[in-house]
Amino acid sequence: MNAADSHGGSAHGPAGSAPFPRMELRFGHPGRRYEPGEWVTAEYTIDGLNGERPRALERSALWYTEGKGEEDLGVHFFERFSTLETIDRVVPEGTFALQLPPSPLSYEGVIVKIRWCIRLRIFFESGRDHVSEHVFTVGRVPPSILP
Amino acid sequence: MRLPRFFTKKRGHRRTDSQAWGSFAEGLFYALLVGAGVVFGLLLVTGAVTYAPADPDSVVLQRGYEWWMWLLTLLMPVALLAFGGSGLVRVVRTWGKSQEHRAAASRAVILDGLAGPSAGAAGRPAIPSCDNLENSPGIVLRYRLPLESPENWSLVGFGLFALLWNAVVVVLAVGVGADLIGGTTDWLLIGLLVPFVVVGVGGVALFVRSVVLSTSVGPTHVEISDHPLVPGRRYDVRLGQGGAHLFRSIDLGLELEETATFRQGTDTRTQRIVVRRVPVSGWQRVQPVPGGIFEARVPLTIPADAMHSFSSENNAVQWRIVVRAQPDRWPEFVRVFPVVVLPVMAAGAGAVPESVEAMG
Repeated sequence: MNAADSHGGSAHGPAGSAPFPRMELRFGHPGRRYEPGEWVTAEYTIDGLNGERPRALERSALWYTEGKGEEDLGVHFFERFSTLETIDRVVPEGTFALQLPPSPLSYEGVIVKIRWCIRLRIFFESGRDHVSEHVFTVGRVPPSILP
Repeated sequence: MRLPRFFTKKRGHRRTDSQAWGSFAEGLFYALLVGAGVVFGLLLVTGAVTYAPADPDSVVLQRGYEWWMWLLTLLMPVALLAFGGSGLVRVVRTWGKSQEHRAAASRAVILDGLAGPSAGAAGRPAIPSCDNLENSPGIVLRYRLPLESPENWSLVGFGLFALLWNAVVVVLAVGVGADLIGGTTDWLLIGLLVPFVVVGVGGVALFVRSVVLSTSVGPTHVEISDHPLVPGRRYDVRLGQGGAHLFRSIDLGLELEETATFRQGTDTRTQRIVVRRVPVSGWQRVQPVPGGIFEARVPLTIPADAMHSFSSENNAVQWRIVVRAQPDRWPEFVRVFPVVVLPVMAAGAGAVPESVEAMG
């Protein structure tokens, strides 16, 4: 699965409350595979706001670990738009670009896995927020298997 | 509005329920600690001022504690205030901020502190530092790698155990001896002394065996022609193995180990697992020159598709050169020499594409 949505705040979840927005993101590379140091370009659209006013939007690129250990996370790129003028520039659609660092590479180990993703997080005036995660691959390290 | 659930899935720092409710509960906990510290401290202070054991009806003008007693007495409330206060400040500072925002803010603080491009080896995030691996020159090759041997820690552990346990045994033995000299026999104390002596002797035997094992087989040295290592490149490795005994076999290899640290209840555990083994060279029936060492120089090629070394707070992927030797009359031993492998940068990866230039 390449994209995942989740929600926070206090006014989400049950049917009848405000619906979740739909956030779609398209990578410049169709295969979502990049080399370290390469530029990543992304275009996104946010639908289903239904007139609800966004308070802020955060765009970030980060790596995180999965597996047996506690989750570690490193943010490589982070932008927050929280004023009226800037939000209108980035909602409901926008583009951005970032250059990847030399490390870490994506890794599918046995008890340690490293994933890269772009997260779009939108905050509403009502206090709730919605995050959309779009995974991509950095490097070409094959998965590890037990010897 | 959704009410908070009292039983929600939580693993480590991850939360699956509302971030706001979680932060609120955390803040409430720290506020309670601060409150407890204030109340506890006030009770102690007011109690000390009015304390008058000789005459409860008279007014006490002199405080009942010496300065050092004050320090001891106020230790608990001050600890509560410090712990609760720092936690409360942290909750307030991170209130309403996303996980990414908090991580980006802490990274900015780290970068400001370092006044450098990035954490990690030479601007490579999450790659462990090479400083400790490159500070010792080799005799023949460029670097002599440091040894990371769990045997040494076992030796220290056995030594400490034997020392502390036998200290208790001596105290018990002195008690029994004093009784016997005084003409009395405390059979309960003697009965207690016997198993303590058995364990103490066992501890000393274990320690002596470990010392003999670690010293009799001789030291192991590994030198390498360059460091850090890059996938696909070839390096020279020089192995030196001391010892006066015959070795049935000595194997030199490269291993990739994953390390994951996790919490189970209140315990913190670490699991290690070797996920890749690359044999480099092996020797059979090796007899070091008397008074000298066995030496060999072999080529080592890092696999072109190798994962780079990685290190974060709770997870790590580490490459190491491993020497496994089987002495003729002693148990097998393993000696580990960590190395750092860097990621490969693709040619032209840093070039700015036209689509980015068009964005301005």
